[in-house]
Amino acid sequence: MGYLFDPDNWEWLWTGRNLRFLLDGFVINLQIAAVAMVFALIVGLALALLSLARFTPLRLAAKLWVDVFRNLPLIFLILYLALSMPQGVREYWTENAPEILPEALRGELVLAGILGLVLYNSAVLAEIMRAGILSLDRGQRDAAAALGMTYRQQMRLVILPQGLRRMVPATVSQLITLMKDTTLVSIIAIQEVVRSGRQLSQIAGNPFVGGSDVQAPILHVMIFIGFLFVLVNLALSRLSRRLEVRQSKRTTGRRVPLSEEEQAVAVAR
Amino acid sequence: MIDVLTDNFDRFTAGLWVTVRLVGISFLAAFVLGTLVAALRVAPSRLLQRIGGVYVEVFRNIPLLVLLFITFAGVRRGGLDISAWTAGTLSLGVYTSAYVAEALRSGVAAVSVGQVDAGLSLGFTHRDVLRRIVLPQAFRTVIPPLGSITIAMIKNSAIVGASLLALPDLLKEARIVNSNTFQTTEAFFWAAVGYLLLTATATAIFRTLEARYAIRR
Repeated sequence: MGYLFDPDNWEWLWTGRNLRFLLDGFVINLQIAAVAMVFALIVGLALALLSLARFTPLRLAAKLWVDVFRNLPLIFLILYLALSMPQGVREYWTENAPEILPEALRGELVLAGILGLVLYNSAVLAEIMRAGILSLDRGQRDAAAALGMTYRQQMRLVILPQGLRRMVPATVSQLITLMKDTTLVSIIAIQEVVRSGRQLSQIAGNPFVGGSDVQAPILHVMIFIGFLFVLVNLALSRLSRRLEVRQSKRTTGRRVPLSEEEQAVAVAR
Repeated sequence: MIDVLTDNFDRFTAGLWVTVRLVGISFLAAFVLGTLVAALRVAPSRLLQRIGGVYVEVFRNIPLLVLLFITFAGVRRGGLDISAWTAGTLSLGVYTSAYVAEALRSGVAAVSVGQVDAGLSLGFTHRDVLRRIVLPQAFRTVIPPLGSITIAMIKNSAIVGASLLALPDLLKEARIVNSNTFQTTEAFFWAAVGYLLLTATATAIFRTLEARYAIRR
């Protein structure tokens, strides 16, 4: 305990560029998370719709895809993609990555990291969205059909707006998991915050790292990094709660909330 | 394809067994810790509820990888000679316990208040009400969420093996096979089969438990 709270062991935080160096790494996590979230949500919705398709072979294929990728460890997918990505693809990316991307995202293994995050999270999100759609009362679709809507109209105007809204809490907790999982790309040598933290605690006084000769103990560095994640993720869940309140005001109607149990099922994923 | 499995069968089974033990021990830790924290969160004291709430918020929002660095590299640098197994199971257990606590709390919330009042008016203490009336029912309603927590745990165990710790789990053995044979796809394919076997087994076990014990609401 004395070791943990000794102010000497926290001195690194306000010397040199240490803090700046860590925050630069954390920004990479936020960027990777943002890109992966957008693609995972889009692909996830597509997979959810496919796994509800009326054409049986298509439906079964989509379900199999979702079940496989949802049940494999994400770190396993990232490592496999990084190890097996063809040299040509890597070179193409390092040479042709858009200039606006930060340097850390133009590295040759970034594609493997983002692809892994999207593959895994889109499968999990597809399952969440599918559950939301299936939880709707059948009468909703019947009513829409009775009004003469086509399948696409039923989905777009009646089923999806209600079904997806119901799963906002579960979706957000999966996005929080995604945010945490961006740390896993440190294993394939992408310069994000955990990797920065390890370098900081290994090399005191390196001008390219922290630029301070105060020793930074890894325990304290990692606790600080953990604190950053708790902060951002709490903000994310607060935001989603505000969103829910606003939406239930806007839709006025009886917003059937999911039972505690159903939400817990989704949260656990 | 099959020869990568047969040639390295001992490696794959050893890795699978390490993963199973890692998940098993961590599950016990997560279950015990999670129950205690859930009890804090429904305790008749604001302070205890707050402590439980902070515990859940911290460990649900911190990345497991960061937790592993804290408990292994961090604690070692601090002078405590913690073993890889202790750090690995402790991290995975504590991380998962926050999810278990949340699931149990919602299970407790599903037990009607009337039962608590009835218990208290019969002269049970708060502890006894929780232990003999509320928790037994809560456990039975949270079997499905506990199932998906366990599956998440199987997947998260690969993070333990992939980080610094010297724990030769299924993923690590697959990487060793890969560097020995250069047959990346084959090595990872068989590891994937191993993980899918584990998650399918867990799913089947929890389905059975659910059919036998779950309370439908």
